[in-house]
Amino acid sequence: MALLACVVGILGITAVAQSPREVAGRLIGDYLLPPIDRGLRDVDPPRPPRRSASRYLPGSVVVKFRSGTSAGVRRSLTTMVRGDMVAPLSNADFDVMRLQTGDDAESVARRLSAQPDVEYAQARYLARPLFTPNDPLYRLQWNFPAIDMERAWDVNPGATAAITVAILDSGVAYRSAVLRQTAGPWRREDGVLMPALGTIDIPFAAAPDLAGPDRFVSPRDFIWDDVLPLDFDGHGTHVAGTVGQLTNNSLGGAGMAFNVKIMPVKVVDSEWDEAFNSPYVGTDDLIARGIRYATDNGAKVINMSIGRSGPPAPVIEAAIRYAVSRGAFVAQAGGNQFGSGETERYAEFAPAIDGMVAVGAVGPTRQHASYSSVGPFIELVAPGGDFAVRSPADARDGVLQQTLDLDLVETWAGSVAQYRAPRFDSFAYYYFTGTSMAAPHVSGFAALLMQQGITSPAAIEAIMKQFATDLGPPGRDDQYGYGLINPRASLRGMGLAK
Amino acid sequence: MRRGNRNGRTQRRITTRTALCILLASWGSSAAAQTQPARPPVRRPVAAPPGTGVRVRAFGEAGIRRFAAAQTFDAVLGSSIGPLFGGGVDVLWGRHLSVELGISRYRGSGERVFVSGGEVFPLGIPASVTVMPIAATVSYRFAQPGSQTIPFIGGGINWHRLTETSDFAETGDDVSSTFTGFHLQGGAEWRLTRHVGIAGVGRWSTVPDALGTEPSSAATAFGEHNLGGFDATVRIVIGRR
Repeated sequence: MALLACVVGILGITAVAQSPREVAGRLIGDYLLPPIDRGLRDVDPPRPPRRSASRYLPGSVVVKFRSGTSAGVRRSLTTMVRGDMVAPLSNADFDVMRLQTGDDAESVARRLSAQPDVEYAQARYLARPLFTPNDPLYRLQWNFPAIDMERAWDVNPGATAAITVAILDSGVAYRSAVLRQTAGPWRREDGVLMPALGTIDIPFAAAPDLAGPDRFVSPRDFIWDDVLPLDFDGHGTHVAGTVGQLTNNSLGGAGMAFNVKIMPVKVVDSEWDEAFNSPYVGTDDLIARGIRYATDNGAKVINMSIGRSGPPAPVIEAAIRYAVSRGAFVAQAGGNQFGSGETERYAEFAPAIDGMVAVGAVGPTRQHASYSSVGPFIELVAPGGDFAVRSPADARDGVLQQTLDLDLVETWAGSVAQYRAPRFDSFAYYYFTGTSMAAPHVSGFAALLMQQGITSPAAIEAIMKQFATDLGPPGRDDQYGYGLINPRASLRGMGLAK
Repeated sequence: MRRGNRNGRTQRRITTRTALCILLASWGSSAAAQTQPARPPVRRPVAAPPGTGVRVRAFGEAGIRRFAAAQTFDAVLGSSIGPLFGGGVDVLWGRHLSVELGISRYRGSGERVFVSGGEVFPLGIPASVTVMPIAATVSYRFAQPGSQTIPFIGGGINWHRLTETSDFAETGDDVSSTFTGFHLQGGAEWRLTRHVGIAGVGRWSTVPDALGTEPSSAATAFGEHNLGGFDATVRIVIGRR
């Protein structure tokens, strides 16, 4: 009860600031997931980027004398470099020699190596873990090796909680709750009338492979005009997973920037929002408000795996310019309208905004995804999956993340007889495809770059383009833009000569 | 022979230590050395007259270099100016001709960066750079009999060894290359004793197309391609004038 009071208290404070609708009418209580063994992940603190000072341990070298070298010769060689031997080591056929303070280990190793009685000598170079997540489903996430993420994570392991990524989408499964909703009659997209279900209590839970202590900040729901942006669809949770799925926690899969904070901002509605008669739907103006909300509440990266065709969207463009001018980078899905040739209206102005990137999709073979829109607005591509890459189609060619158990969510998708109240407290890993899945790769990438020190959205866009792996015809083209994102090269940046 | 010996007695009455102190305190004012109190003449071994024959000398030098790729060095290493240490040998032919071979070394450390629109973003990835110029120089020395100050000018060819290492580097990421360039130099040498001199040397070197050839080079972002620069060094010369 204390927790509930605390939550309600926090919600109340936020409500004053943002003027959202009172949530108490919908939220009737917390609902806890059945216990799930989540290992030590929840106590794993955010890791700062690695900033080592030296490639080797100063003050000592490894030396291997040739067999038969007398103790006297060993002593004289040790004296030659002003060193002294440490006690013999177990499991070693070599010795470690301590050096005088200030003597460079590499130089000493070179001097020793030049001696005929020395088989080899070397500084004690520091090895680093080559990070491969231990998440059991990581082996199915082809999308991360496709952009060399393992080596990128060596440079920057998942950013930190200092970076907040806003997910402007259908909501995120970010907390437990029970909502009391009334499902009236509504008409499905194919025209079928779905019957009323009456007033029902619906359980929600946080996605186990996404949620963690203090993981979510400043939630906001523009569809229900409150601060409870719960996902009724599964799209937003999947997208959030690609950005920041908890990683190396021996559970499920991995995410790009697995230490960031996530800001769930619900700006598009789903079938259940319609069934529950939400007061608002995902219109341009509402999404524009969502962009401004995320910006004003500290988001450094805004992911927009949403969009539309039709007439231009100046209100969205203005909101994105606002976000970029205040230091937020925006990744926008490039659209899935390759077949129709329609322009993705939320993406078309991306080339004119430094700090916003329109993202196309590639499949597992790094070829243009069959659905991914093309045009002068496509600036980069990232893995979005492509079920059409093989015949027959193989689900594994999609992008795998945890999201709501769609069998319990899309009860409206089958026959009317099967239509029943949904559950949002059960989760599974699904392969999705689309530029919606490509954009969060770029958002996570942007979070890593921000953590690495590139704080300007325009500079983030510039470095992404500069180090992109060129695909298709040489140079920029309408299918791949400047190419496939290359996080490892970008995170290493520039040296003097290379 | 006699003349050389007499010159040694009349013009080298101060010790090396004294002269060093005086010269460092009043750079370029060799005349001041002439005002030191006289000491009893010291008989020295007979030697060849100065400015004749072939003389081999050694030198050590220390100074600073300002790199031509100033923005690049400033971005990655925090400064476009850094210390330079080196040494070498020079061979004097007669009074005016000198051929020298020298090697020096600059080492700096900093971090990798990204450059966008002239703005530099440090990335926190340690990087270190070593530049090791080897220079062969032919100089003309304006040596005058009886003068302790010998101005010189020259020029030559150089080879700049560039080594760059950084964290998270894998095969092919680090740099170890040698580039060829040219240089001009000038300066003046002051004789402290019969066998010791001190010189101030300024050297301008150009090493074109050594930088800015890779997209991951900050030099590319700044449009800087020259690894050369201007060196100002102080040189201690061991050997006869």
